[in-house]
Amino acid sequence: MKKNNFVERSILGTLSFLKESIFADEYALKKGFLQSLDPRIKTIIFLIFILQILFTGNIFVLLYLYALCLLLTFISKISLGFFLKRTWVFIPLFSFFIAIPAIFSIFTPGEALVVFQIANFKFIITRQGLSSASLFVARVITSVSFGVLLSITTKHFELLKVLRIFRIPQIFVMTLGMCYRYIYLFIEVIQNTYLGIKSRCGNVFSVKKGQGIVAWNIASLWQRSYVLHQDVYDAMLSRGYTGESKTMDEFHATFKDWFWLGLTILIFGLSLWQNHYLN
Amino acid sequence: MHIPDGYLGPTTCGFFYIVMLPIWALASKIVKKTLKARQVPLLAIGAAFSFVIMMFNVPIPGGTTGHAVGGVLVAILLGPWAACIAITVALVIQALLFGDGGITAIGANCFNMGFVLPFSGYYIYKVISFNSSVYSARRVIAAGIAGYIALNIAAGLTGFEFGIQPLLHKTLSGKALYCPYGLNAALPAMLGEHLLVFGWVEAIVTALVVKYLQKQSPELLEEREVA
Repeated sequence: MKKNNFVERSILGTLSFLKESIFADEYALKKGFLQSLDPRIKTIIFLIFILQILFTGNIFVLLYLYALCLLLTFISKISLGFFLKRTWVFIPLFSFFIAIPAIFSIFTPGEALVVFQIANFKFIITRQGLSSASLFVARVITSVSFGVLLSITTKHFELLKVLRIFRIPQIFVMTLGMCYRYIYLFIEVIQNTYLGIKSRCGNVFSVKKGQGIVAWNIASLWQRSYVLHQDVYDAMLSRGYTGESKTMDEFHATFKDWFWLGLTILIFGLSLWQNHYLN
Repeated sequence: MHIPDGYLGPTTCGFFYIVMLPIWALASKIVKKTLKARQVPLLAIGAAFSFVIMMFNVPIPGGTTGHAVGGVLVAILLGPWAACIAITVALVIQALLFGDGGITAIGANCFNMGFVLPFSGYYIYKVISFNSSVYSARRVIAAGIAGYIALNIAAGLTGFEFGIQPLLHKTLSGKALYCPYGLNAALPAMLGEHLLVFGWVEAIVTALVVKYLQKQSPELLEEREVA
């Protein structure tokens, strides 16, 4: 693919991103441990874990939480290869590169651990810098892993329904539910539009023409959307919409859900105590 | 500009959730009051539109590309309060379903990109375009300037939020617990890349889309009834 073919890269990137998301929904349908939990209780459990990660100031506590996350992944029948690829490639790897300068005395002064010289520049890696950077990367990877694990083991519509049960204002939840469907539709519209452009103009665009194509696509998407919203409203009316939306609550929490919630709260308490003790 | 989990400490995360709660409540109240039943799907379409805009890579001279946030554009098309809801929804979907932006940082991300960005951009656009015709070039310029300035304000705020972490959360031995860089590093880093690259992407996208809509559907640029 040519380097300047940014439109194609954008479209392909978006499609693979969405395919990955659809693929992730396949994991939510598997009969694993996390998939068997009530989505409401599971969401609370994960929020507790994520808060725990936020409050923890000790790298060992973070590492055991990360190990726990990998164990949950394994018993939920999720391929570890897929999970590690999904959780390591973007944010944690980016954070790792961001953290590298922080290990040096220029950004984090402190006790010198390693001193070396490149050309006429002297570099000092400090204990505080190394410790801060490791803690930062460990926290990011653990948080991202828990967030992704919740997302891939819960059907997307269930996750959105949980928000309504948590008393999030109706206008947000309704918009969320509808928006989720439109995203797929819009991506399809853009893909078809791009295919049309490609079949007529070929592959290579100049920067200026490329900017025009992107802007035209966005403007045309908004025009179509505006027309679409009137059709959608008519369809809603024909199905009995009266201005108030209704959500069905079909979730059933069992003893197993409450047991795991209790255990998570216990782990939370223990790690807060451990964090305080270790620091 | 999406802040992931682990970059901000509990104080900052909690603070932005507290700040955003009344803003979300007010946005919900205002939009519900002014939104006609017929326009309910428009809000969802606006959210999906905002989501999709963030996926478009725009080319910049020099071979690089960047993506726009589209906050100012959505505010121009839907009004700032409706844009606040639409962008919040897009950010929540990105965080919950795709892992783009942290769950604990939703408050901060929504403040930067769902509140400050559309509101500052919308009012800059209103001030510069000042009663000009829907067809005027002044509107295109106003949209570009608003996009550029608003994105940089939001980026500056994000840099500030990163930069205060070592001041708020540090152990006695000097170990930073969250983002390890102070204001002297975080602020120039965030502002630099947005002033030089992403601000221009936002400006180009916002201005060109307004220009295209002036030609194709000028009625869409008229004041919306959605808040």
